[in-house]
Amino acid sequence: MPYTRILQLAITKPKWVYTIVSVLALVSLLMMPLIQIDTDPENMLSKDAPARVFHNQTKTDFFMQDMIVVGLVSKTNIFTPQTLKAIETLTTKILTIDGVIDEDLLSLSVVDNITQEVSETGEKSIRFQYLMKKAPSTDHASNDLQDAIKRLPMLNNTLVSGDNKAIAIYVPIKSKDMSYDIAQQIRAYTSNISTDADFHITGLPVAEDQFGYEMFVQMGVAAPLAGLAIFVLLWYFFRNLPLIIAPMIVAMATVVIIMGSLIGLGFTVHIMSSMIAIFLMPIAVVDSVHILSEFADRFKQGDDAKNTVKKVMSHLYTPMLFTSITSAVGFYSLMLTPIPPVKIFGAFIGTGILLAFTLTITFIPAYISRMTPQALGRLQQAVQRMEAKGKLALVLEKLGGFSVSNSKFIMIGFVVAFALSIQGISKIEINDNPVNWFKANHEIRVADKVLNSHFAGTYDAWLVFKSNNKASDETLLAFNQLVGQLSTQSQELNSLKSYIEQSTHSMSFFTQELIVLLDDLSFSALESDEETLETLIQLADKEFNNSKAFLNPELLTWMDELQSALIATGMVGKVNGLPDIVKTVNRELRSGEQSDFIIPSSSNAVAQTLLQYQSSHRPQDLWHFVTKNYQQSLLWLQMTSGDNQHTTKVVEWVDGYVSKHPLPDGITYDWAGKSYLNIVWQDAMVSGMVDSLMSSFVIVFLMMVLLFRSIKYGVLAMLPLTFTITMIYGLIGWVGKAYDMPIAVLSALTLGLSIDFAIHFLQRVRELEKETQSLTTALSLMFNEPARAISRNAIVVAIGFTPLLLSPLMPYITVGVFLASIMALSAIVTLVLLPALMTTFSANKATAVS
Amino acid sequence: MTFIKNVRNALIILSSLTLFQITVFASDLTDVTNIVNKANMASYYSGEDGRAQARMIIVDTQGNKQMRQFTILRKDQEDLGNQYMLVFFSRPTDVKGTVFRVTKKVNNDDDRWLYLPALDLVKRISAGDKRTSFVGSHFYYEDVSGRNPQEDTFTLVNTTHDSYILSAKPKKPDTVEFAHYKIVINKQTFIPMEVNYYNAQGDEIRKMEVLKTKEVDGFTTVLHSKITQISDGSYTEMQFRKVKYNLGIPNSVFSERSLRTPPKSWLK
Repeated sequence: MPYTRILQLAITKPKWVYTIVSVLALVSLLMMPLIQIDTDPENMLSKDAPARVFHNQTKTDFFMQDMIVVGLVSKTNIFTPQTLKAIETLTTKILTIDGVIDEDLLSLSVVDNITQEVSETGEKSIRFQYLMKKAPSTDHASNDLQDAIKRLPMLNNTLVSGDNKAIAIYVPIKSKDMSYDIAQQIRAYTSNISTDADFHITGLPVAEDQFGYEMFVQMGVAAPLAGLAIFVLLWYFFRNLPLIIAPMIVAMATVVIIMGSLIGLGFTVHIMSSMIAIFLMPIAVVDSVHILSEFADRFKQGDDAKNTVKKVMSHLYTPMLFTSITSAVGFYSLMLTPIPPVKIFGAFIGTGILLAFTLTITFIPAYISRMTPQALGRLQQAVQRMEAKGKLALVLEKLGGFSVSNSKFIMIGFVVAFALSIQGISKIEINDNPVNWFKANHEIRVADKVLNSHFAGTYDAWLVFKSNNKASDETLLAFNQLVGQLSTQSQELNSLKSYIEQSTHSMSFFTQELIVLLDDLSFSALESDEETLETLIQLADKEFNNSKAFLNPELLTWMDELQSALIATGMVGKVNGLPDIVKTVNRELRSGEQSDFIIPSSSNAVAQTLLQYQSSHRPQDLWHFVTKNYQQSLLWLQMTSGDNQHTTKVVEWVDGYVSKHPLPDGITYDWAGKSYLNIVWQDAMVSGMVDSLMSSFVIVFLMMVLLFRSIKYGVLAMLPLTFTITMIYGLIGWVGKAYDMPIAVLSALTLGLSIDFAIHFLQRVRELEKETQSLTTALSLMFNEPARAISRNAIVVAIGFTPLLLSPLMPYITVGVFLASIMALSAIVTLVLLPALMTTFSANKATAVS
Repeated sequence: MTFIKNVRNALIILSSLTLFQITVFASDLTDVTNIVNKANMASYYSGEDGRAQARMIIVDTQGNKQMRQFTILRKDQEDLGNQYMLVFFSRPTDVKGTVFRVTKKVNNDDDRWLYLPALDLVKRISAGDKRTSFVGSHFYYEDVSGRNPQEDTFTLVNTTHDSYILSAKPKKPDTVEFAHYKIVINKQTFIPMEVNYYNAQGDEIRKMEVLKTKEVDGFTTVLHSKITQISDGSYTEMQFRKVKYNLGIPNSVFSERSLRTPPKSWLK
């Protein structure tokens, strides 16, 4: 159906339009309560992204949980009976909180100490006991406790800071979304404990949950504020309440329908999608402002409003369609990035822009055609005010004259700026850190800073080693042949056979499971099978025993050396691993002296050492560092910085180390942990953004050639946004602002928004040139009403984004600042560069002709 | 003591005759100390000495299994009194030859030694906390050797048609992880069939249950038991095989010499 018929329908049956819009908005509003907030940075990677799958597999394999970190920081010395009592009391309280995984909680009062005890006869005995079941009552005993911790590498600088000024409690929680509640309960307990030390609470789950809470506030405050700002601006420009209500309705309906359908379709509201409302609001009013400006311009007292609207719409329909499609393409191009929240953001804003366009071209004409004559009459005053030469008009006229007469200087200026920007882009530092999404004075960031200044680091990365040694085919064959000889018929044999069927092709066939099955079978077996079974058990046992790579002293020594080398780089505060446990237990089994703080010389000795470690109150602690089949082992790196750049450096350093000190055959390594995931999605984002920017650039260019039916105008239309994007990113490089997630997303926005101005500008210039048969006249006319419309729009959108500056969260502030600058810059570039270029081109043409 | 044992043996023989006779002979006991002593007797003091092959399967929350196999030798110095104990590990293969040597003392701390063959090391294990994990399982040392009844105060809470239900409170709450526990003791065998441990908030934290008993050499013997950690459902099952009583093991077997040179003839 051609647009003229839709327009006719909208004007003659406005109530239909109203009804459809109201119903859509109402249905969407009903969806709103289903909102699900998602603040997990992990979701920046899709669920099946290999790095994320591996991360979660590692969490499962090594029983890793999300942790809240509670820190108690003293200005002097933490080892006093009073602060230790505070730790004991708080720990007991925390253990009663629902959702806390008691057996994995780490605190001085629940962990074990392993020591040597000398009896009266001088015999040394090994002892596992709670490190501090009850807080000591004397200073002397407190100091003894301090000495004990220094001897436990797993706890030193993790539970107690190296400077003896801080103690931490690591609180593992069952589910991340409980962290805010649990943190609040802990805060309530700490306020009742009398101590002169300060409590701090941090940890990624708390930060994420807190972020979600503030995101809500953000959406509830900033989006309405943006609406208000736009409303005030429109009032300032048009001073006609009935008239400016129309674009506000379009904006509100767009936002409500898009957010409602996002929620209704079951998408979670991530940090990106939480910005949809505030993005759509200004973009949605832009087309309406064009219509209103032109309508106010053309409408004369006594005219038939319907006819004027039709004229205006026939005039604006094509440029509006193209600006909307190009903006939408800019956002849709985000769907090319491999980051799910960015995809959703792009898809819904792109659709929102098209929806806003549809609403604008149907609702606005319908609305205007229903306006009372009095209301329309008042338009005259508005028109007069806009015709009157205000400050904006004066400035623009001067600007127009300047750009035409100084075209050469302007061109040189832009070339210089462009060159500088390219240099700036080369300086861009790619970096992000979710904790920095909070402002510097936020309690989460304060806690983060304080705890990291005392401890070895609260940022985790896990380096996972894996043995890939498989049993040989011959062994498997021999095993299966022996099983075939068994004549016993029993349930146990069936279990064994089904195990064999399932596991023949898996990585590990000779497992504990298999040995248990064989052992079970040996009790129901016929006497004739006893010998075969014994052989089978011995074979399986031998293979299983050989597969336990991480009992091998050579491998453990390799890991131990890597740990020391990592510390020596100064990039890592502490590395916890299996070698530390083995060495500590070995020392206490032997002399208790530093000289025995070594890895024993055989695999069996390591196994026997670890069997002793499991005789403590917390045998489960072992399985955070090695899997039960001893085929995987984990090094836990504690870093004091969560900057992606920092993690990247560590990862690269390890790669270099491994190439210089090769791992034993069949051992591979990989990374997991939140800090590592962050660098993975950051890399994906950077390359994804380049793809998305390039492809939308090409599409928009083709559309421009199509719209103007001219390659020259196509190129001209692309120039302002090319300059704007280059200059914005050049500025980021020069200012030294890290290229993070919000900054990356901005490229697509710039592309979508700054093309608008170019389209409107070029379309109008061409029309005026046709009318007046002179480019010079056309350009000077351009700096009257058309330039004012463009500037007005730039100001509306820029101001519309400023409420983002009030946000407590950094990504919103960044987006607010940069969008405002993008709007201002691209308006200026359009208004200055295009006239200069067009003047130069036509001057050259004139010279060539003469 | 032998009197009690004789009565009990008689009971077992008679009880196998008719159901009626059970109710006649098993008139309910009301003295809690008596019940506790009988339960302690049935659980840890059957015969003068004994031997069993044990297999522990430790199962974590993900269903991963670990196996421990060992042979236990035990000899009582007197019923309900001191005991000698040796635990010889055979699997996993890498800990084969590891031995625990224990002298359980009723009125004093136990003496415990450890032998680690790969380190060629005999090490005394300090007295003190016995509620630490037994080689990584959900069983504590105390569950294997028997918790001294003198550590707790017992009350008879209920007597049902087949069980005595006792409640126990630790005399020194600071030395244990529970606030109290409940025992369900079989009236006929005096075997504690279920023990539930509770924390200070009254939540169950740990459960021991007997899954299978069998009469061996005239003694009702637990062949299969299970301890579950309630919070995450992880558990350890312990099964006994080749149980034998009254072998006549001499005291000398329970000496330090057996650590480095296992008494093979007594382990067969």
